[in-house]
Amino acid sequence: MARDRRGDDIYTRPLRRILIGALALILLGLFLLWRIDSPRVERLRVAIVDRVVPNLDWAMAPITRLYAMAEGFRSYAALYEQNQELRRELQQMRAWKEAALQLEQQNAKLMAQNQLRLDPKLTSVSGVVMADSGSPFRQSVLLNVGASDGIQDGWATTDGLGLVGRISGVGETTSRVLLLTDVASRIPVIIQPSGQRAILAGDNSAAPLIEFVESLEKVRPGDRVVSSGDGGVFPAGLLVGQVALDRNKRLRVRLAADYERLTFLRVLRSRPIERITDPGDLVVPPQVPSAAGAPAGAIPPTGKGVEGADG
Amino acid sequence: MVDPRLASRLAHRAAYLVLAAVLIVLRLLPLSTQPSAWPLPDLLLCLTLAWLLRRPDHVPALSIVAVLLIEDLLTLRPVGLWPLIILSVTEILRSRSSGLRDLPFVVEWMVVAGAVFLAGLIDWVVLALALAPQVGLGPTMVQAALTVMAYPAVVAALAVLLGIRRIGDTDAPTRRRLT
Repeated sequence: MARDRRGDDIYTRPLRRILIGALALILLGLFLLWRIDSPRVERLRVAIVDRVVPNLDWAMAPITRLYAMAEGFRSYAALYEQNQELRRELQQMRAWKEAALQLEQQNAKLMAQNQLRLDPKLTSVSGVVMADSGSPFRQSVLLNVGASDGIQDGWATTDGLGLVGRISGVGETTSRVLLLTDVASRIPVIIQPSGQRAILAGDNSAAPLIEFVESLEKVRPGDRVVSSGDGGVFPAGLLVGQVALDRNKRLRVRLAADYERLTFLRVLRSRPIERITDPGDLVVPPQVPSAAGAPAGAIPPTGKGVEGADG
Repeated sequence: MVDPRLASRLAHRAAYLVLAAVLIVLRLLPLSTQPSAWPLPDLLLCLTLAWLLRRPDHVPALSIVAVLLIEDLLTLRPVGLWPLIILSVTEILRSRSSGLRDLPFVVEWMVVAGAVFLAGLIDWVVLALALAPQVGLGPTMVQAALTVMAYPAVVAALAVLLGIRRIGDTDAPTRRRLT
């Protein structure tokens, strides 16, 4: 050190030490602030990501594109086998399509007979994946749609086929999707056809764990896993994947979404499920002062009575 | 006229910032969203330590902190803790860098390994004490080990690409390479 420095060391060194100390204190304060008031700092983080990452697009897009091209080139080698496999699958799909059409018609008929009302129709916003989480221990992606597109925290995200994750953190023009594989991800699911309810818990591996299954013997590898509407987290019935057993005989889910390459994601606009919280009130005749505030068209007979009382 | 030594120093400081930005952007690229079985080595930490032990004047504490803080914000880490730990580590190493320069590379490597593991351990312990959500100690240590293994490669890359070598005296080769 003595070799590097010049003669003015005696003055600058204590000053430098003070500045380093101040820097350390600021960082410590920042960490404490993050720990104590996490939501505020996370909002700040979302705002910064929102500002920074879209501007990096010019740098990131070419590399991503090149990588995709290289991947595509590599897959040329397996083109013939892929083609054969696709033909076989197409054959099977035709059979399934026929079955699905018949079932759809049957379903429509039955629903018409039942006067059944399904969930309010789900609409969706599609977005492009812009960036990764950047850390090997966090599994999330950044989408290029945000609050200005009406995205809200907690909405489900699919890749068209299977569930991918949910929105966690919304900026003005970007939003972060917490993937099902993240350690913080917990999703209520139903295992079909046994109807067992369980929690899908991410653990940083490609296949998340199934936890809290009531009767394990009813669950078999290959069973379908769909989201359940429990807790109002997600719309019910979104395909998640298939049950699989890992080496330690634990239940995991092989995800239906193609996690290898997430490019276009679909965010489902879900309305909060209406909740019935009170046990129900006594049915009493409507009182005049409170009924006066109600819209006249809502309850025609009382509305007329109120008008009469006023006039 | 601008002092050439000062100009070279400023250029190298800028080079550190640019390289760090490139590393961060590379990690943000959505190449594969599948969780990987092995965590990638923390190349940014390698770069910082290697550069620091060769030319401490090129990586002032302020740029280290700025780079790590931005990395914190962009990669969803707890804000402030990792820069604080690395700031302390680099300050300790900075004060010993001139002594380390005269020792064989293996000794430097061991010192860096100790620093990386210690930093990972402190980070884990503090987060555990603060009851903050985090990954287990295992993956953190695996990443530290991979980071230590990547260190010689980063050192070699620094020497080849930017001519930043381990030398007793300061400026001669760097200046020759720059001009």
